Amino acid sequence: MDILVCIKRVPDSEAQVEVKEGNVLKIEEKYTINFFDNLAVEEAIRIKEKVGGKVTVFTFGSSSSIEVLRTALAMGADEAILIEDENVPYKDEFVTAKVLSRAIKDIPYDLILCGREAFDTSSGLVGPFLGKMLGIPVITMVTKVEVKPDERQLEVEREIEEGRELLRVNLPVLLTTQKGLNEPRVPTVMGLLKAMKAQIKRIKVEDLGIKPDSIGEETKVEISKLWEEKKKRRIRWIKGTPEEMVKELIELLKSEARVL
Amino acid sequence: MDFNLTEEQEFFRRTIREVVEKMIIPKAEEIDQTDEFPWELWKEFTKLGYLGLRYPPEYGGMGLDKVSCMIFYEEITRGSVGFAQSVIMNMLMGTHFIYRFGTEEMKQRCLIPAIRGEKIATICFTEDQSGSDLASIRTTAVKDGKYWVINGKKQWITNGPICDFATVLATTDPSKGLKGLNFFLVEKGTPGFYPGQKIQKIGCRGTVTGELIFDNVRIPEENLLGEEGKGIQYLQEILDEIRIMTGAMALGIARSAYDEALEYARKRVAFGHPIGHYQLIRAKFADMATELDAARLLVWRAAWMLDKGLTCTKEAIMAKMFATETCIKVVDECTRIYGANGMALEYAPQRHFRDARFLLYGGGTHEVLRDYLGRLILGKL
Amino acid sequence: MSGILIYGEHREGRLKRVSYELLSRGREIAQQLGEKVKAVILGNQLEEVAQEASSYVDEVYLFEDPILENYNSEIYLQILEKLVKREEPSLIMAGATLQARELFPLLGGILECSVIVECVDIKIGDGKLSYVKPFYGGKILGEVIPKRYPHIVLVRPRVFQVKEKPAGQGLIRKEEVQIDMSKVEIKTLDVFKVKEKITDITEADVVVCGGRGLKAPENFNLLMELAEVLGGVVGATRAVVDAGWRPQSEQVGKSGKTVSPNLYFAIGLSGAIHHVMGMDSSKVVVAINKDPTAPIFEYADYGLVADLFEIVPILIEELKKERG
Repeated sequence: MDILVCIKRVPDSEAQVEVKEGNVLKIEEKYTINFFDNLAVEEAIRIKEKVGGKVTVFTFGSSSSIEVLRTALAMGADEAILIEDENVPYKDEFVTAKVLSRAIKDIPYDLILCGREAFDTSSGLVGPFLGKMLGIPVITMVTKVEVKPDERQLEVEREIEEGRELLRVNLPVLLTTQKGLNEPRVPTVMGLLKAMKAQIKRIKVEDLGIKPDSIGEETKVEISKLWEEKKKRRIRWIKGTPEEMVKELIELLKSEARVL
Repeated sequence: MDFNLTEEQEFFRRTIREVVEKMIIPKAEEIDQTDEFPWELWKEFTKLGYLGLRYPPEYGGMGLDKVSCMIFYEEITRGSVGFAQSVIMNMLMGTHFIYRFGTEEMKQRCLIPAIRGEKIATICFTEDQSGSDLASIRTTAVKDGKYWVINGKKQWITNGPICDFATVLATTDPSKGLKGLNFFLVEKGTPGFYPGQKIQKIGCRGTVTGELIFDNVRIPEENLLGEEGKGIQYLQEILDEIRIMTGAMALGIARSAYDEALEYARKRVAFGHPIGHYQLIRAKFADMATELDAARLLVWRAAWMLDKGLTCTKEAIMAKMFATETCIKVVDECTRIYGANGMALEYAPQRHFRDARFLLYGGGTHEVLRDYLGRLILGKL
Repeated sequence: MSGILIYGEHREGRLKRVSYELLSRGREIAQQLGEKVKAVILGNQLEEVAQEASSYVDEVYLFEDPILENYNSEIYLQILEKLVKREEPSLIMAGATLQARELFPLLGGILECSVIVECVDIKIGDGKLSYVKPFYGGKILGEVIPKRYPHIVLVRPRVFQVKEKPAGQGLIRKEEVQIDMSKVEIKTLDVFKVKEKITDITEADVVVCGGRGLKAPENFNLLMELAEVLGGVVGATRAVVDAGWRPQSEQVGKSGKTVSPNLYFAIGLSGAIHHVMGMDSSKVVVAINKDPTAPIFEYADYGLVADLFEIVPILIEELKKERG
């Protein structure tokens, strides 16, 4: 089975992020492979180990994104491709999906795996956009994948609010991963060495027949302002009789804090 | 001058860091508290194959450059000092002489399983009355036909009580002093060879350190590693590497303490602000960061020289001393940043504080090293 | 392009709460901008749901058919695509539920329009709308401007308030349901309605944590009840774990687990720094402690200086009444 995985390099969840003048982000130098993308890589490799085939990982980003491609190779992916975004002035999820779709459309594949969302944007758009651009069905929040290669079908479990549902889908299909799908492996030293020595294929958007300037205009959203979420807590004392305190607390949790 | 790690080294470093964070760090406190060798973790970790980093592929190794090896030592030490000591013993001192001078059979029997984590290795220098003064060791090796007979007692041996084989420094001729020293391979099960008391330590807990007893231990003559009388010469071959490695371990301990103190300073509130807000606390971090960076550069530079085949005796000593002394300072400062909490067993700084002590004599005491470096600089006067 | 279309997501014959939130807010926005507001509902046997929704909007597009009983993205998309192309709303709103977070990005992919997910605020300025959403795990907020109609906005539940149902009724339009099954590649085999017991406290939305102030292990039953009523889990400080009152898996703190739930109750615990480091990134922290100088109050949003044995039972009661 030919499996493609789309991954993204994102800041670590603990990294400090600040907004400077001109909506410029200053991010602490702690990056990692997006958590859900890591699940996707692991699942792809597991499927390959079971039914044979090839796992190719893609990312659309800067040269530093090569890090996460190497991580995927170290886990057992066969090939890694970086589509450079250096010349693309603006990119949003739509542009990312479009670029990926161009890179993918001429490659044979049976299955595409993506993370359900990226840590930095929490949008979960690239997967569904990509699926539509390629004209294949999309199933999100997948927690289990069973391959039936002879019948060219998958049986997939995915999370819903009430629990889980079991779906059957024809290949090719794009799946997005949800926590609980698997436990990503720790790379062995052999994998690590292989990844260190691997040649990463680098593609420019021009190679895909895309003009860097004009693709920027195809973004569907624009971020006009960024600011830091106020982190410092200022305590609000709730007073009165126990009954009064409870009533006030519940009211505040409902209307002010919006957690009830 | 390119001060950067290569892309591959950066990737290696990041990956090892993640492996350590996933597998070792969660167990670090337990290892320290129970002071029990973490067999399960050992099995899990050694399966990944990282113990062969410095050996070539034909023995199941990776033949990695020394800078990457130092990065590895730093990262696993950051995870757990006790565990790291046992791992590094298998990777370096405990197996090096077999790799260099052992027969193919010995390599099959000892080196390869040690790299796979299936056997535990160790090296024995120290005795009750002999630490830095190697010439004064009293463990003897006497030739008897086609055998060597070893007698003596070794002390402070990392992995000693649980080892499957040991590289033992013994003298074949006390009158020759250093020139009478030799390395011998002694394997578990050989009659007369048995572990003695385990030492209760304040730091580096988890790794089993203790005595090894040699009571008329008969080993075949090929178990003399290399040529007779050249033991010290052989030791010189890896002395620099051992020192740099100790420096790398110092970086690991220091960084562990530093990272935690940083998070603490960002979170702990006093007088209405996180304590990191205050100048004197900021100053501490400024100084620690500077010295840690300097220490790392010394360690990497010395390792780089090893890779290039350059003599780096001075640089290795500098790296070891500076990194260790920086580490001692850093773990002290970090406990102070925690205030009273620095005394509590509940918090990590005290563990790093206790663990760091071994650096002051492991790889050579600073008293001896300083004098030696001074002599190297000033020459024979 | 004009008008607002709201996706009326429902379950078990009732509109989901977030649908009410969006119907309320959508109606407000429509009134402010002088636009029409409509709702779309897909499913089977939905008369009541449609009636409810119609009070808030001018018109409800009701698609009722057994084939729509269970959500299927490919089937639902066929309907939504046709409807949106026909009616051309400028704004489509839905709650950022698991279903919508699959369905609407797919719709956005087909229509090649703007999609904004996890919106936490809508601002109206100069007759134009802009949307706020979180980035970097919520550390940063950003104002996002959509560029291409229709604007699809998925709003985080509980951001907007449910307003009282207006008197009156909008139009309910029963629409024809025509699905081309040959184009549907996904088939639902089974649905497991499992409320799996959360064993990992880091996954819970609500954590009710107790310390030595609970005085005895059996008193944790009180916290377990509170956790249950809130749909959350119980956490514990190191002190009570070391004392053997609670299992290690519940320990919150530097040497335990780090949690960041939406709601964190710190009950009968002093707030030692290593504990705080394990829960500091919780969205909302409520501290209940008899001692007003307890350090935990430095890290809380709401503080109750009170006897937990008085407060917690009342809290449980009142919450049960709310759920009622």
